[in-house]
Amino acid sequence: MAEYIDDDVLVCRCEEITAGEIREAIRMGATDVTGVKRRTRAGMGLCQGRTCEALVQQILRQELKGEATPESIGFSTPRTPQRPVTFGTLGGDNL
Amino acid sequence: MSAYDVIVIGGGVIGTSCAYHLVKKGYKVALIERGDIASGTSSHCDAAAMITDKMPGPDAALGYASIQKFIRLSKELDYDFNFDQAGSLYVCETDQEVEVATGYVNDLRAEGYRVKMVDPYEMSQIEPLLAKDLKGGFWSDECAGLNPFKLCYAFVEQVKGKGLDVFLHTKVTGIRLNEKNQVEGVDTDRGRFTTGRVINCGGVYAPEIGRLNGLNIPILPRKGVILLSEATIPVCHQKVQEFGYMVTKFANVECDRDPELLKYNVAFTLEPTEGDNVMLGSSRNFVGYSLNTEIEVINAIAKRGMRFFPILKNMSCVRAYAGVRPFMEDHLPIMSEVDEMPGYYICAGHEGDGISMSPVSGELMTQLIAGEETELDMEPFRFSRLENRFL
Repeated sequence: MAEYIDDDVLVCRCEEITAGEIREAIRMGATDVTGVKRRTRAGMGLCQGRTCEALVQQILRQELKGEATPESIGFSTPRTPQRPVTFGTLGGDNL
Repeated sequence: MSAYDVIVIGGGVIGTSCAYHLVKKGYKVALIERGDIASGTSSHCDAAAMITDKMPGPDAALGYASIQKFIRLSKELDYDFNFDQAGSLYVCETDQEVEVATGYVNDLRAEGYRVKMVDPYEMSQIEPLLAKDLKGGFWSDECAGLNPFKLCYAFVEQVKGKGLDVFLHTKVTGIRLNEKNQVEGVDTDRGRFTTGRVINCGGVYAPEIGRLNGLNIPILPRKGVILLSEATIPVCHQKVQEFGYMVTKFANVECDRDPELLKYNVAFTLEPTEGDNVMLGSSRNFVGYSLNTEIEVINAIAKRGMRFFPILKNMSCVRAYAGVRPFMEDHLPIMSEVDEMPGYYICAGHEGDGISMSPVSGELMTQLIAGEETELDMEPFRFSRLENRFL
């Protein structure tokens, strides 16, 4: 079993979200990575959750215990562009 | 399983608003949602409550009333949904647009709304990073922004456990009718519920729920794409939109638009978020339920954004996402009981106005169910206005 992450530990670096805030979202009804994301902004930043996703999954697994499976916890949705790209590049840069 | 006065199907902004307003009225309510709260259109959109996108007359009155309801809700609901009456700015690219806008603004002013024309100098004071070659625009300090999915949470959290039971990840498999065709219960993959009234708040999926009882609910998914910027210095302070796109709506005149923009119905809109990002939109097209973000659409939106806010050129986009609006051919939602099935209500089909219309929709459905006089004439919203209502 993975180690317990204290409530004051920053889990999502991009949006500065702590483990305690993630646990609060789970108490509110979040049962998956996306549910945590909407309730806390964890994973909404620059890296699209690449850094914090595994930790969010771990906290969900620990908090929901038997109710959670890897399938139910899921992943955050990968979105275009995979890493930050300027609007100039996306718009063809032909202004 | 327990019995409820009303069962609301769908945990988007319409369903959560209906649930909230029904509980406030004293009803015992269950909210059944097959995913999570706000997991569909209500979290794949932008959001604003405005009068300056409405036609003068009843449309503007409804827009104004919605803003007043949001002001009340922002005090009434404990969960913060980031309501911010920051105003909104429309910008004009051509003299023709300015001319149409002037007539439109005069009509709104005659009805008593706080909206005014602004010249390019005033525009640069309101939004310093706007392109400098625009011809004019109009501004209203009555319009407001908010976070759409937080609004859903706010509705739910306020009454959860105090009259509202929430069943997430629960899929409706049938709505039971008795021999008189009256609603008597709801079947789900997690058990049976007893109720005399059900509201189908499925949005783009309302047709799927309707089919369970042979109803033909003609809502189509109309996709929109939004690009999100990195967290940044303030690029804009309120919702900024191009007026060109609205000219046909407000004046019934043709205006020249780039065929590339017309192809995906791309119109410039920019909104700040509470996370210091900006949301750049958007498009409108019919491609089924797919949430793909096509590169051609992204390209057109980015181009259009840089036309109005050149600073975007060197700013990063961190993601694109799409949502599907519940489109109705006659541009009116269905908010009504199904005459042939007493106790079966539908509240869906708000297209791009679901967030801003959610407070009034929830109130109207509550008034309908309570048998009270409704705040608005419900005739235009009746299900029975439609043809071929049964499969």
